[in-house]
Amino acid sequence: MSQVAAVEQHGHGELSFWRRYIFSVDHKVIGKQYLTLGLLMALVGGASAYVIRWQLAWPETPIPLTSWVPEPSMYEGQLDPNFYNQLVTMHGTIMVFFVAMPILLGGLGNFLLPIMVGADDMAFPRLNMMSFWTICTAAVVLISSFFVPGGAASAGWTGYPPLSDNPTYTGVYWGINLWLIALALEFSSFLMGGVNFLTTAINMRAPGLSFFRLPLMVWMQLTAAVLFMLSVGPLIGGAVMLLLDRTIGTTFFLPGGGGDPLLWQHLFWFFGHPEVYVVLLPGVGAVLEVLPVFARKPIFGYRTIIYSTIISGVLSFVVWAHHMFIAGIDPRLATPFSITTILISVPFAVMVFAMIVTLWGGSLTFPTPMLFALGFLVTFLVGGVTGIFNGSAAVDIYIHGTYFVVAHFHYTLFPTVFFGGFAGIYFWYPKMFGRMMNETLGKVHFWLTAISFNLVFIPMFLLGIGGHMRRIYNPMQYEFLRPLAPVNQFITVAAVILLLSQLPFIVNFFASMWWGKEAAANPWRANTLEWTAPSPPPHGNFETAPTVYRGPYEYSAPGAENDWLPQDRPIPAAAAAVRG
Amino acid sequence: MTSASMAAARTTDVMTGRVPSGKLGIWWFLASEIMTFGGLLASFVLCRFKAGGWEEQAAHVSTGIAAFNTLLLVTSSLTIVRAHAAAERGEREKAAKFLLYTVVLGLSFLSVKAYEYSGEIAHGFIPSAGLFWSFYYGLTGLHALHVFAGIVANFALYVAAHRVAVWPKVQQRVEYAGLYWHFVDIVWIFLFPLVYLS
Amino acid sequence: MTAESHHPSYLTIWIWLVMLLLVGLVVFLLPIGKAMAIFLIFAVAAVKAFLVARYYMHLKSETVLVLAIAGLPVLLLIGMALTLVPDIVFNH
Repeated sequence: MSQVAAVEQHGHGELSFWRRYIFSVDHKVIGKQYLTLGLLMALVGGASAYVIRWQLAWPETPIPLTSWVPEPSMYEGQLDPNFYNQLVTMHGTIMVFFVAMPILLGGLGNFLLPIMVGADDMAFPRLNMMSFWTICTAAVVLISSFFVPGGAASAGWTGYPPLSDNPTYTGVYWGINLWLIALALEFSSFLMGGVNFLTTAINMRAPGLSFFRLPLMVWMQLTAAVLFMLSVGPLIGGAVMLLLDRTIGTTFFLPGGGGDPLLWQHLFWFFGHPEVYVVLLPGVGAVLEVLPVFARKPIFGYRTIIYSTIISGVLSFVVWAHHMFIAGIDPRLATPFSITTILISVPFAVMVFAMIVTLWGGSLTFPTPMLFALGFLVTFLVGGVTGIFNGSAAVDIYIHGTYFVVAHFHYTLFPTVFFGGFAGIYFWYPKMFGRMMNETLGKVHFWLTAISFNLVFIPMFLLGIGGHMRRIYNPMQYEFLRPLAPVNQFITVAAVILLLSQLPFIVNFFASMWWGKEAAANPWRANTLEWTAPSPPPHGNFETAPTVYRGPYEYSAPGAENDWLPQDRPIPAAAAAVRG
Repeated sequence: MTSASMAAARTTDVMTGRVPSGKLGIWWFLASEIMTFGGLLASFVLCRFKAGGWEEQAAHVSTGIAAFNTLLLVTSSLTIVRAHAAAERGEREKAAKFLLYTVVLGLSFLSVKAYEYSGEIAHGFIPSAGLFWSFYYGLTGLHALHVFAGIVANFALYVAAHRVAVWPKVQQRVEYAGLYWHFVDIVWIFLFPLVYLS
Repeated sequence: MTAESHHPSYLTIWIWLVMLLLVGLVVFLLPIGKAMAIFLIFAVAAVKAFLVARYYMHLKSETVLVLAIAGLPVLLLIGMALTLVPDIVFNH
């Protein structure tokens, strides 16, 4: 049926352009809005990475394409050190809070969760809309901080006091205040989202859809929501304290006034560590949805994966001080936190193992979503393994604050957000936009990205072992880093290629919306409920609420007429009689 | 099928949980609020232990005024739970009356707080006067903001309770507003002794 | 959401809360050791919070899910606070 008819059927009458596309309460529209925000902010984050990388490779030379940036940030293409710190800070902040979370949770999560549970929308559609406009406001506040006197926040995405606490130390006054406000708004946005996700999944599942028949993507979104809800509180408190320190003269984190800088670090990382799993789990969820479809095999260890996810969620709350091993914490904390950190690698290893075994003996095909899913597996493995080095306090003493850490977290975050995220985008694009993306462009995008990504970040481990510190403006100032200059240059060239490799995706994403082949309801022959709805689904998602009869991964079931079996296909009468 | 009956079919088809969505949503929100205030309170307690008690700074807060404020807030919890009970029984006007009492008590709390702040500031006990004062203003200020938000919500419900057309929705929401208000009360129940009685 | 027939009246709970408030003030004014005073005062606060949660927020009759949502953060906080003691309280 046409979009307009579907909308009218729901008793809303004909909605204006503003109510349908801008101030919509439909979770699918809101999901696409989040996706758009995330992809746009990725351009900003990527641009800052470009400038950072160029500066590291050829310090204090003019950076191409930047002559338009005014003083005092850049002097005819030459980077000011303070602006460098701002770019480093904003790169991290934007990528974690305004790219990763909007794409994976706000975008994929919002779009998929109600449909995957068979509901017609979220439990609180207007709250959903408010959550998007809150994060939009947050993004505007954050970007505006570039244009205030003193520039944007420059104390790292971790914002440690006293550097971040006293404006005279960074030279930034409004920038960091706006940064704190933007973060507070972003946290509010995802708190609203978390309430929606959890309530929807608990209360609005279709008949027959028990928790252990839910797609793993839903489990991942729910776990991420719980982790976020329970971890962000202390940091909100800490952010209030930092803002008060900066504005009304309190001294929560200033030793001169009796405060403790270490308190901020504890509050930040108590949230910060669960946060990285908030980002990781939905990416893993996307991969877990893609793999069985293109292996035509059930996911291996469905319940094991769920239990591993829950265990890793619980453990994520007791590992945070591994970010603080050399911060001056009580040495007696080092060993317990090393132990918990190494323990947490176990559930993730189990998940990766399950994903690999899912492929074993499957009828594999390799369209673009599958390529990105496989790319995730390979690269995330590197990230996970290198986490063990960081997690052992003795080793961390040497590599903390070096490029080893930078390489490690890019080998976890990039696979999650970009390999997992792209796998999800390519996979669900037909459902979202009713068109197929171009396969050739997709494959070009994948191979260029995968190869250049590894060329950027593998050498970084070597830089780190060589003692190259992070967040420094000019490595050549240090005698012992001069021999590493060629490595930095190699990385930068690869980084430029990595950034350019996203062009095929940008072209593909937009061109396919108008000129892509029209998509059927279920182009990938998959089982979960979203594939039973039209592409794109109308307002209300389903004509009648589906009833679920089985789990989501019944591929190549013995005796079935097809190699796929949708969750809502009724059990034939004869078989039902046999089951009794 | 008309759109109304389609919608009805939908909501009865789905597996409705045993906890109404609004209540579940509020509780998840409260969980995050527990973490926020709890984090701040824990930081206060820990810093206070380290500093040796801040007795000299803390001597200048007025325990009497704060005890009175505690009485106000605790009573407002009583009035809002009475509002909820009345709403459950369908007694629209009684519920509205108790909502109004709650709003008045909440506003009184804030007025007392404002009076307290002005006295302290006049004596030079401003946020930068010491770490105790930093926490004092941070904790009570954030709490006061939450009280204000609750007053707004309760007042909105009070106004809505006079419109018979929206009464069924208001009936449900009195409970959720009450849960939030009780939480704000519980925060103060811990704040009061930790700040004023230690 | 049915009203239980056998719960103490809301007014009774209020009376308890006010009495506990007075107990707290008395403890504050008593000439007992500081550590003991703090422990008692905090215990009184905990009982008051428990009363509000159990009877005003109706946790007494709520499902396990709601109890978990309310209880987990409290446990987490206690864990976090205890872990921070070596660093924040005893750090030089």
